[in-house]
Amino acid sequence: MWKYLVKRFLLMFPTLLGVALLTFVLIRVIPGDVVELRYAGDRGSVSQDVLEKERARFGLDQPLWRQFATWVLGVARLDFGESMWTGAPIWQEIRLRFALSLQVAIMATLVAVVLAIPLGVLAALKQDSWIDYAVRIFSIAGLATPSFWLGIVFILLLLVVFHWLPPMIYTPFWVSPWENLKQLIWPALAVGYRYSAVATRMTRSAMLEVLREDYIRTARAKGLVQRLILARHALKNAMLPVLTVVALEFAFLIGGLVVTEQVFNLNGLGLLFVQAVAHRDYTLIQALVMLVAGVFIVVNFLMDIGYAWIDPRIRYR
Amino acid sequence: MAIARVPVPEAVEAAPPGAVARWLAATREFCRARTLGAVGAAVIVVMFAVALLAPVLAAYDPEAVDFGAMLARPSLAHWLGTDSFGRDVLSRLIFGSRTALMVGFGASVLGATLGAILGVGSAYFGGRVDLYLQRVMDVFLSFPLIVLALALVAILGNSIPNLIMAIMVPMIPRSALVIRSSALAIREMPFVDAARAAGFGHARIVLRHMLPNVMAPYLIMLTAFLGQAILAEASLSFLGLGVQEPTAAWGLMLRGAAVEFAETAPWMAIFPGLAISLSVFAFNLFGDSLRDALDPRLRTQ
Repeated sequence: MWKYLVKRFLLMFPTLLGVALLTFVLIRVIPGDVVELRYAGDRGSVSQDVLEKERARFGLDQPLWRQFATWVLGVARLDFGESMWTGAPIWQEIRLRFALSLQVAIMATLVAVVLAIPLGVLAALKQDSWIDYAVRIFSIAGLATPSFWLGIVFILLLLVVFHWLPPMIYTPFWVSPWENLKQLIWPALAVGYRYSAVATRMTRSAMLEVLREDYIRTARAKGLVQRLILARHALKNAMLPVLTVVALEFAFLIGGLVVTEQVFNLNGLGLLFVQAVAHRDYTLIQALVMLVAGVFIVVNFLMDIGYAWIDPRIRYR
Repeated sequence: MAIARVPVPEAVEAAPPGAVARWLAATREFCRARTLGAVGAAVIVVMFAVALLAPVLAAYDPEAVDFGAMLARPSLAHWLGTDSFGRDVLSRLIFGSRTALMVGFGASVLGATLGAILGVGSAYFGGRVDLYLQRVMDVFLSFPLIVLALALVAILGNSIPNLIMAIMVPMIPRSALVIRSSALAIREMPFVDAARAAGFGHARIVLRHMLPNVMAPYLIMLTAFLGQAILAEASLSFLGLGVQEPTAAWGLMLRGAAVEFAETAPWMAIFPGLAISLSVFAFNLFGDSLRDALDPRLRTQ
């Protein structure tokens, strides 16, 4: 058990380093750099000398390996540097947006779990009945509907039916919870529907598998009521794979809401990432990717620990 | 497994007789037992027909601007209305199916196939090769699909082949992961040892003996990727980073004016979204039934 955990823990670091290296190389392959873009407006009037000096200020004149080493050593001390475009410290750029993206991700997770578990269990219990078909169609439709389009449809419906638009300016939760929720519930619903579809399908198939196990038959044979069989025996064992997809989707949501944020005019991490790529803001892109991938890798690790903790069969392997 | 190492070379490569008849029978059985899947397949067939016959079916040139008919409501002349340039929405939807299918199939077939080869190779060679390949896959898996695709489009530029590339790359590790776990079981089968004993090369064993045996998970991945690829293309185009104007593409049709004029001209925002949802829905429906049909563990008892 301990050996396994330590091994899993240590394996996170090569992956993180790989992510760092890949990001570092990828964004430098994108044509153009931040200096060139900043002075693109007055092309010709700025001498090559000034451009070189600017590049030197960001350390872009250094050999690539040294740039990489400087950056990685900084990250190891949790120092992500300053944005190349605005000059503000990265943490200051990211903080509020991270809070926003995190909140939408949490709300979407709640929507997904509340929908998915009852629907998935119901569909599994009534396999191949009309209920099962309805749930499956509902969830396959969820996978098929682009969340950004669903967002547009929500806005349209609110406008046509209630003549009301959700606020387009972000209010932090701690300033006014009501204003905040009025804005963020819509993207959370739009994203949550797709997300619930993934979880519903996993709940259904996990339940189907568990319901066929011998211990369920035993529980039935000894006369246990259906409710207890489901709660104590079936659900408990079927929840592992469901928890996994929910956690992994959650990790992806934090950085993966690029398009939905655009529709709802939310200044979250996704939008920040698109802007950072457009500006070739190397330090900001690197920090964002490390944050998003880091969350994913850590969630993955925590899932593995959780597995070992919940399922004794893994613990003794 | 170690006891069963009996070479059975003649059963390895010969194609079974009456393969066509068997396929036909299997197809008939699929339609009968999996109605939902058959409905999905029917929608896919219609979609293909629409894409192939686009110039015949579309009443207007999808790129023709008509300032006399800007933002026209749905009418007999324009069944689904026109957009802010007076372009016929239905004609653009019809031609957009070509873009969706091209990018969808291109990205998912390439991504699933390359992933399958890597996955099978990784399982076959095992040891250090497997370990290193897994670590590289882990790195790629840590990026959300859309983030990696975004970065790749920024590097490659946004022509259609480049879009296919950008959407394909994040799919490779996802396919490799699934295929590898199936291939691990197949590697232990006696026929692989038999092939090795017969002196076949690694490439031949991987490509001709192991790859055909992971067909079931491969097809399941492929149909799932198809829908995802169409959604990814729509998302990128919506952000303005995918297909460029004036080419007809569903995601692109939702961009800009469609949102601005959503209240006065809702047809611009509604129909392209319905087209995306319906096609991805059909692919998922079909893929799901295919999975149920191919995976005996999930059959109703």
